[in-house]
Formats: sequence, C-alpha cells, structure tokens
Amino acid sequence: MLLTHILAAGAIQSQGIAEQAGSGFAQTLGVGLTSGLSAGLASGVVGSAGVAIAAGHWTTSLIVLLPLLSFVLCALCAAGRVKSKLPAWITVVCLGGAFAFAVHSYLGLDGHIGGGEGAAVHGGVAQITHLFDWINFAWGSGPGEHFIASFAFYVDTLTCLWMLFVTGLATLIALYASEYMSHDVGAGYCRFFAAFSLFVFSMACLVMGDNLLLLYLGWEGVGLCSYLLIGYFYKKPSAVAAAKKAFIVNRIGDLFLALGIMLCWVHFGSIEYKEIFAKAAPYIELLKQGNIDSIPAIAQLIPILLMLGAFGKSAQLPLYVWLPDAMEGPTPVSALIHAATMVTAGVYLIARTYPLFLISEHALPIVGWVGALTALVAATIAMAQFDIKRIMAYSTVSQLGYMFAGLAVLTSTGAAAHVFTHAFFKAMLFLSCGAVMHGFAGQLDLRKLSGVGSMPGWRVVGIAMLVGCLNLAGFPIITAGYWSKDMILGEAFANPHTIAIGWILLVTAGLTAYYTFRVYFRVFVGPKYYEPGDELHADGGDHDAHAAHGKHEGHAGHAHAGHAGHAGQEAHADRGHTGTASHFHPHPPGWAINTVLGVLAVAAFVAIIPVTMNPFKSAPAAGVNAATAGEHEAHGGWIGHLVQSSTAATVGTAAYLETHVDGAAHSGQSNSTDAGHAGAGHAAHATFFGFEAHKAMMVVSGIVGAIGILVAFMLHYVGRTTAARSKADAIVPLLGPLAYWAQRKWFVDEFYDILIVKPLWVLSNIFALVDKYLVDGLVDAFGWAPRAVGRTLRPSQSGEIHGYALGMAGGIAVLLVIVLLVTLQ
Amino acid sequence: MSLLINSVFLGQAGFPAEFSAPALSHYILVSALMFIIGLIGFITRRNLIVMFLCTELMFQAAGIAMVAFGRYHLDLTGQTFVVFVLTVAAAEASMALALIVLLFRRKESLNAEEWQDMKG
Amino acid sequence: MCLALPRRGVSPQILGAILASTAGGLALVALGAMNPTQLPNVYFYVFSSVALGGALRVITHPRPVYAALYFVLTVIATAGLFLILSAEFMAFALIIVYAGAILITYLFVIMLATQAPQEGEIEVLTEYDTSAREPIAATVVGFLLLAVLSTMMFTGVATLKAPTAEKRDGMTDSLLADTPRKIERAMRSAGTLEPGEHVKIDTASGTAQIDFAARTVAVTGTDGEGQTRLAALPTNLSLSNAERLGFSLLRDHPGAIEIAGVILLMAMLGAVVLSRKQVQIDEDAKLLQSRSLAASLAKSNIDNRTNSGGGIAS
Repeated sequence: MLLTHILAAGAIQSQGIAEQAGSGFAQTLGVGLTSGLSAGLASGVVGSAGVAIAAGHWTTSLIVLLPLLSFVLCALCAAGRVKSKLPAWITVVCLGGAFAFAVHSYLGLDGHIGGGEGAAVHGGVAQITHLFDWINFAWGSGPGEHFIASFAFYVDTLTCLWMLFVTGLATLIALYASEYMSHDVGAGYCRFFAAFSLFVFSMACLVMGDNLLLLYLGWEGVGLCSYLLIGYFYKKPSAVAAAKKAFIVNRIGDLFLALGIMLCWVHFGSIEYKEIFAKAAPYIELLKQGNIDSIPAIAQLIPILLMLGAFGKSAQLPLYVWLPDAMEGPTPVSALIHAATMVTAGVYLIARTYPLFLISEHALPIVGWVGALTALVAATIAMAQFDIKRIMAYSTVSQLGYMFAGLAVLTSTGAAAHVFTHAFFKAMLFLSCGAVMHGFAGQLDLRKLSGVGSMPGWRVVGIAMLVGCLNLAGFPIITAGYWSKDMILGEAFANPHTIAIGWILLVTAGLTAYYTFRVYFRVFVGPKYYEPGDELHADGGDHDAHAAHGKHEGHAGHAHAGHAGHAGQEAHADRGHTGTASHFHPHPPGWAINTVLGVLAVAAFVAIIPVTMNPFKSAPAAGVNAATAGEHEAHGGWIGHLVQSSTAATVGTAAYLETHVDGAAHSGQSNSTDAGHAGAGHAAHATFFGFEAHKAMMVVSGIVGAIGILVAFMLHYVGRTTAARSKADAIVPLLGPLAYWAQRKWFVDEFYDILIVKPLWVLSNIFALVDKYLVDGLVDAFGWAPRAVGRTLRPSQSGEIHGYALGMAGGIAVLLVIVLLVTLQ
Repeated sequence: MSLLINSVFLGQAGFPAEFSAPALSHYILVSALMFIIGLIGFITRRNLIVMFLCTELMFQAAGIAMVAFGRYHLDLTGQTFVVFVLTVAAAEASMALALIVLLFRRKESLNAEEWQDMKG
Repeated sequence: MCLALPRRGVSPQILGAILASTAGGLALVALGAMNPTQLPNVYFYVFSSVALGGALRVITHPRPVYAALYFVLTVIATAGLFLILSAEFMAFALIIVYAGAILITYLFVIMLATQAPQEGEIEVLTEYDTSAREPIAATVVGFLLLAVLSTMMFTGVATLKAPTAEKRDGMTDSLLADTPRKIERAMRSAGTLEPGEHVKIDTASGTAQIDFAARTVAVTGTDGEGQTRLAALPTNLSLSNAERLGFSLLRDHPGAIEIAGVILLMAMLGAVVLSRKQVQIDEDAKLLQSRSLAASLAKSNIDNRTNSGGGIAS
C-alpha cells in the first residue's frame, strides 16, 4: 500500500516535471533524446543543465528512516535504563542496513544511467522518492505563490556517492565506538548512540533531501548532534564550552545559509532542486555563450550566501575556530563528525548547487582563496601543536580547505574524490589517536609518548597510523590521498588564474607531510616511553579487562599474532615502561577497534581504485560521442563518473574560463573555442614551467610530499633518544616569534574574544540591566501602582462617621461648585 | 420711609395673593442657613443624639424651602411633600433612636467615634 | 456672606453666637435692602432670627438635653414661618409631630442613654460632648456649600417662572365647587339662601355649579326639582388651607399617602423588633459598670456605717 502510494507519488512528480519543464527539457525526459543530445554534443560541451527525473524506489527512504529508528530505540533504551551494549548493536545494525539500502539505491540508479537515458545529459538522472508532504502551501495560483517543501529524497549519483561513504563509515565507527565507549555503559552509552543515530539521520536528510529546506533541516540537525556529542562529557566545563562554541559559530554560517535559501526562493520561485536547476538552465546557457554579465545579480548573490553557510559548517577561515575545540568530544565523534561527514556537508552543498556557483562571477574565486588560505594557516598551526588530536583537527581544517579550493578550480571531481579519500584516512587517523588516548588514559601529548607502534598489542594501530599518515601526506602512487590531492593540484595549475592558489596548495602539501610525519615519528616509532594521561583512574585497576582483551581473537587477514598470544601475567610483563615508576599499564585496543582500523586501512588502499578507474563503466548510449564520454569518465575514475553524472558536473568550463580571463568581450569567440576544447575542459591553458600541468603535478606533488617526510624524519626520528625532545627543538628558537605565534594558533581565538565576545558580553550585561530594571520594573510598577493607590486612599476609610460625613459634604460642595461654574458660563 | 414701614409691616400678603420673588429669596436664604447649620452640627458633634438632632434640623430647613416654593408657585404640592417629609422624618427618628439605645447598651457611651469597626 | 461662622469649641461662646447672629441678620437686612419694595413681613424677621438662633444653640450647646430643647424652639419658630406662608395646617402639624412626638422621644432616649452620674459629679460633661471634632474643616465645607447655594439662589430666583394667571385664579376658587356644603353653610349664615333651598349638586360629579365671573351659584328648591336660580356667593368665601391640603393630598397624591402609611408601619414594626434584641454588653463597658457599681456600693456602705454610727451615737 505504502509502496504503491509512493510510486504513484513519484510518478506524479515526474509527470509534473514534464508539464512544468520548459522547451529545453522536454527533450531530456524519457527515452529518445537524440535531437537534443546531438545538438548539445555538436558544440563539444554536454547538454543543458536539465535533469531527468524519474520515480524513486521506496527503499531509498529507508536510508533515512533506519537511523531514525535507531535513534528512537536508543532513546527507549535510555528510558529503560539499559546497562548493556545493546544500543551499540542497534546502531550498528541499523546503520549497516542503511548502508545496504544505499548500495541498493546506487545500483537502481546506475542502471538508468548506464542504460543511456541520461548518459550524456549533463544533469544526469535523479530519482525522487516522495515520503510525505511536509510543507505544501499555496496562497494563490500564480507562479510565485506557492511554497512546497516536501519530505522527499532526491537521489542522483552525487547523493549515492555521499551516502555510500557516510553510512559505511558510520557503521564502522559505531562498531569502534561500541568498544571505545564501553567504560561508560549505562545512561551515557544510550545517550551517545542515540545522538549518533540522530546525527546519521540528519546527515541523510541533508544529503538526500530534494529541497533546500530539507537540507537546512539536516544542516541544523547535524549541528545539534555535534553539540550534543561534543558536550557528551557534560561535567567537563571545557567540553561544554567547546560544544557551545561549535554551535554558535555554526549558527553564524547558518544565518547566511538561511538567507541564501530565502533569496533562492525569491529569485527562482522554488526551493526544490528540480525547479532550481530547471530555472537555472537558461543562466547556464548564458554562461556558455560567455555572457555572464547578463545573469541577474541576485542569482549571482545566492551562491555567495550559500558559501558563507558552507564556511561555517566546514570550518573555513573565519569560522574554523570551533573545530579544534571540538576535539573535546569522544574520539568516535571526532572521527565521524568532524573528519568525514559533517564537515563535508559544506562541500556537498557547494557541489550540489554547483550550477548556481558556476553562474556567479565572484563566488568560486572567493571559495578558492578562502580554501587555500585556510589550508595554509591551519597547516602552520598544526606544525606547532603538541596535542595529537588537535594536530589532526587542524589537518582536517587544512584538507577541507583543499576541497573547497578544488571546487573553486573547477574540479568538482577532485573535490569529491578528496572528500572520499579524506573520509577514510582521516577517520583512520582519528581512530588511531583515539586508541592511543583510550589506552594511555587520555594522554595525547607527543612529548610524552614515544614508540607506541612497537609496543605489544599496538601493532595494528601503528600500521593504521602509518597508512593514514602516508595518505595525508600524499605519498606518491600507492596512496589514494596522493591521487585525489593531485587532481586538485593539477587543475589548480591548469587554470591560468588559479596558479597562485596552486602554489599555496603546493606549499601546504609540503607542510602537511611534515607535520603528519612529525606525529608519526614522535609517537609511534623511536624509543619506548609513555606517561599516563589525566584519566588515570579509569584504567587503574582494569587488569581483568586487559586479559579479556588479550583473549579476543581477530579476524582473518590482520596481524594480531602478538595480541592473541597475550594472556594474564605475560601481558603485563611485556609492557615496556621506561622512566615512570608507576604501576600504570597501557591498555591496547580490543577486537572492535582493531577490526575497524584494519578495515579502514585496507579501504584506504582500495580507495585508489574508484578514484582513478571506473570498474563499473557501462557502454555509452547510442549517439553519444564515445570519445568525449570516455574521456569524461576516465578523468576521476568511478567517482568522477558519479560526480559528472550529477548536477555537480563542471559545465561550460571553457566558457567560464574564457569570460574570467578576458571578460565578456570575447563572448563571440567562445563557441568556436568550445569546439576546440572538447569534453571536460581540462585542456591546458596554463602550463607548469612548460610542462603540462597534470602530468607535472603528479611528479611535483610527490616530490614535495617526500621532502616533507624527509624533513620530519631528520628532525624527529634521527638521533631522538627521549620522548620529550628532538632535533626540532634546536631549530625552534631560530624561528623567533613565528613558532610561538603558530603554537598559540595565531591568537585568532583571542582576537575573536576581544572583537566579538567581549562586546557581546558588555551588550548582554547592559541588556540584563535593561531587563532587570526596565522590563521587570515596568511589570513591577503594575503591581506597585495599585498598592500605592491603596496605601494613599486607605486613611480615608477611618471608620468614623464624621469623617465620612465630612467627605460627603465636601464632595457635594465640590460638585455643586462645578455645576455652578458650568451653568454660569 | 412710610414705604419702608408699610412694606415691613404689611409687605407680604397671604395666600392666595401673589408672592414676590425677592421675598422668596429671603425664605430660601433662611432655609439654606438652617441647612448649613445643621450640616456643620452633624459633622462637628460627637454625641450621637445631637447628631440626629442636627439631621432633624436639616429636615426642617428642607421643609421651609418646600413650603416657600409652594407658596410662590401657588401650588399646594409643596405642603403636601412636607407632610411626607414629616412622615419619613418621624419614622427615621424612631428607628434611629431605637438603634442609638442599642448602641449605647453595647458600649455605655454615646460617642460616635467609638464605632470604628469599618476602619481600613 | 464672607463672615466667618465662629469656631465651635462647644465651650459656650456667647460672643461667637452673637457674632453669628449679627452676621446672619445683617445678611438678611442686606438682602432686604436690595429690593425695598417687596420685603417680607416683620414677623418673618422675628421668626427667622429665632429659628436660626435656636439652630445655632442646638449645635453649640454641650448638653444634649438643652440641645433638644433649643430644637423645640427652632421648631416653633419654623411653624411661625409656615404661618406667614399661609400654611397653617403645616405649622400645627409640625408642632404636633415634631415638638410633640419626636422631640419627646428624643428626650426619653437621652434619659435612657445617659450614664448615671456619680454622686458629687452631677455637672460633669462627657468628653465627647465637650469638644467638637474638626471644626475648621466643617466650617469651611459649610461655608462652601452656603456660598454655592446662595449664588444659585440669587441667580436662579430671578429666572423663576411666575405662576400663570389661570393658576392664580384657579387656585383661589375652582376647588370651591367641590365643597357645596360649605357654600351652603356660608350662604345660610349670610342669609342669601331661602329656607328649604339647597345648593344644587350635580349628581354625577358632586360639585356645585358656580359661575366665578359673576360669582353666582345655582340653587334649587327643597325637593331637588323646581327651578334653579342663581344666588350670589358670599364675597369672602374661600377654602381654608386644611381643605386645600386635603384636596391636594387625596386627589393628587393618593399613592404617596399609602406609601407613607406603609413606611410608618415599617417603622413601628422595626422599633418593636429592635427593642426585643438582647444586647451583649462590651467587656470594657461591663468592667466599667461593675467598678462603678462596686464603688458606689462601697461608698454607700461607708455612708451607712457612718450614718448608722452617727445614728447610734445620737
């Protein structure tokens, strides 16, 4: 029943599209697109920004509803005071189910794409699954007089890409968290997993929503869950403060996003994607003709507002201050939310509304510069921090800058690929740091840990960390991170006027490699040393748990031999601790953590494949220019195929570049040059010292990465005998104040404090006074007045007859006087 | 002078002769004065009985005014109403005196200021 | 009228009283002087001065008994004023009801409600009788009212409508037709009626037929039939005040009479009900009473003893 209803709704949706679509799109619907396609392809650029809409399968809504179910069940567990790990298993099962349905949706969608209905159509095919009418409000029958925001899911390839890795990572990290949070079993455990599931639900709404309002719902939802989860240790004031900071800074971005959505509605008359893309299509046409100046200013303003919202959520330059502090939350939270999913929401937003960004003259350049500068600044800060989780947080900020810069240099494929690979290796890095934190009672200072990778039971963590660091640093050829970063760098140097951005990104790549391996060489290799952290009490007497962990068997394919051999006394005896005379024993991770780390490490390598190749490539439809289609797909592999088949495809890039280089004067020539620059528009307008940009970058970025690793090796591994000091300490004084400033995060937080927080404090104190004296005073006056009147009048009630008589006589006298005066007028 | 003496001794004719307006104003003045005296007495004196006596004075004054006006308008309605006023005054006086006796029995005092239960 | 009424300290202020009366008298004279041709009677001045003087003494005399007596004086003076105004019935009704009934009741109540004076302290005045309360405020208010009333009067009286001519004539004579017996009696004593003749009475309305212009009345023979002739009315025949008042009361305001009767009935019943109440004497009053009783008993015992002692001795 529900199924038929939804299918029918979906069918009606697509029919509605057919009626509303303009002449340019009637061709893109259904089968038989030959005329439109050939016309579009003759120019060498793929067709108009229309989207082919089809009905979606009802199982796509399960991707969203299963996490919601998990949230409800975990909340019930909390109410029922469950004291086992049940909430964790509920979450893992539901999220795993969501992942399964995500795969199913992709397969359902891919069939359509491969079948050729929208094979070379720019916007690709989207399936809309209508769940229920959330807001459907009309106050007239004119074009701008009704507002629809239904709870419907817009599934195209971009959505599939995002949902696949979001749900996949969420499942793995839930499994990790089931062990990581095990010391908190009880109310806190249920609360954690409830918020976790709610987060996945919100993220799904954000990614899969078919209108901007549903995206905003998800946006706010992930912000809320981030707040809840960062402030999970609510008894810690620093955690509470960090949660508040995250929420408030996000809010600033959300304001601009809301404004952008409203402006979108004002200008386009709708906030549903299909409507927006339909109405933006003419602007894309104008762009392709090089006529960017005739695109209305409002339409150019919308993406600027949207991007300001994205800056807040994805921690770009002015609004990044919340992300390092967000490390106060438990490590699974940091891994999932602040590495892989929530912070990529900004990237997703820009990718999803990419056509709008393309038509704006200033939006993408701003995005590019902000991204590049963010990357650089964050890298410099990370070089000087000592808390390894903080370093990873700043590296996240830096890599997000890369993604934004990638979007700006017109490789949405590169940005998406970097999101994809970054999700895996950053999650892995965070989880490894978390394992360290978990095992060493909260110790995260790299001056107090050393040689962890060679401690018994820590080998998997060490290997995972190494794999992650290699990816982050972009070690050539064998790491996925290298390939995705290379796409961005290559495109940056290929476009003539993003070369400056390209240089900044290149330098940042070197710094990234350096600080990443600084962590690795200090913490995981070298002489063995450890000091317990602040949470010592949690681990003090946990020897039984150690034994239990030691007994857990692994899973095929992971080197756990050392771990399996540990039992009882042997386990304790083998822990090397030099220096400290305490009875503290580090707590190596158990099977859940090791499983997840292993899977992620393997995935980090496997991720090379989707980034570079497309194993699912299907035969192109008849009439499609095979060469351009193949080229199009080959660039960026499977991910590239997914991205370019959606609305995030880079369209009209040649024209875009033309107009941005030479202005509108060359609009007439763009058509001919379009034919010359076929396909995906990554023809080499610029070169890197005479070499073709992409190929040059493949070599140069590898070299830069290797240099960074080498420097770190020299400074932090060679000749290091203690945990606390290394050769780098000798260089620090030579850098003078720079090092100090970098370590103190360039005093950005303090600057914001003076600029914004303190004035707001003063203002709110003033308002408190206003409230207390003016508002409360006004209300009190209402109570005071009758009492005062009563106090004044009470003496007249003396109870004496004479007083009353006098009053009466006096009153009569006065009245008569008045009457007399009146009548005598 | 003879005019003065004439008018003084003979001045005002009886009913049904006409009654002059200035003569009326004399009577009204007397009535007003008596009324004010009664009012001041009522407010000033504390003895309950004397207070009621003053109210009777006020009745008297009203009566004079009514009869004078009746005489002026050559209408006996003024006197008729004085009859009723008299009736009401009698009834009220009897009730008031009965109450005064009861009040006196309670407090052994005729001081009107003793009764302040309605204070506040 | 801007002469101050004297302050009432209720300690007898003869000076104050003289001042007040002089002021009032002067006011009246001034009033009279304004219009010398139409002054009221001299008796008016006599009666009004007595009335006002009595009223002043009512409110100023410390002893309640004297106040009541002065009130009687005032009532009598008022009756005199009524007489001058040709309201004889009212005058005597006033004396009978007020002076005769109400004031007697007042005096009885004063007797009942006075604390028995202790021996040797006959002349004491209770404190509340001695001093007045807020005399200044009262005087000011009274003043104000007086000013207003007199202003109203002075401006208003001049605009009073004069009684209509018809009323003038009608009042004098028209009611005469309703009293055929009176006419008959007067004519008989004047000799204008033949023996056996009666004034013709209209059977329907019971009135005589009078022609006021010619001042004749229709008269019939003994048997009621026979010829009517017009006889002259005696010249100074007119209704007395009582008769007129009767007509006015019963003909024009019968409902008011009924209501007045009901009011009197209520008053009677109320008095009966009130007098049956048992009153709880106040605690303080009881204490006072018992103390005074004990004191008087003690004193009488001492007196008896001394007396008896003296008696035995003698």
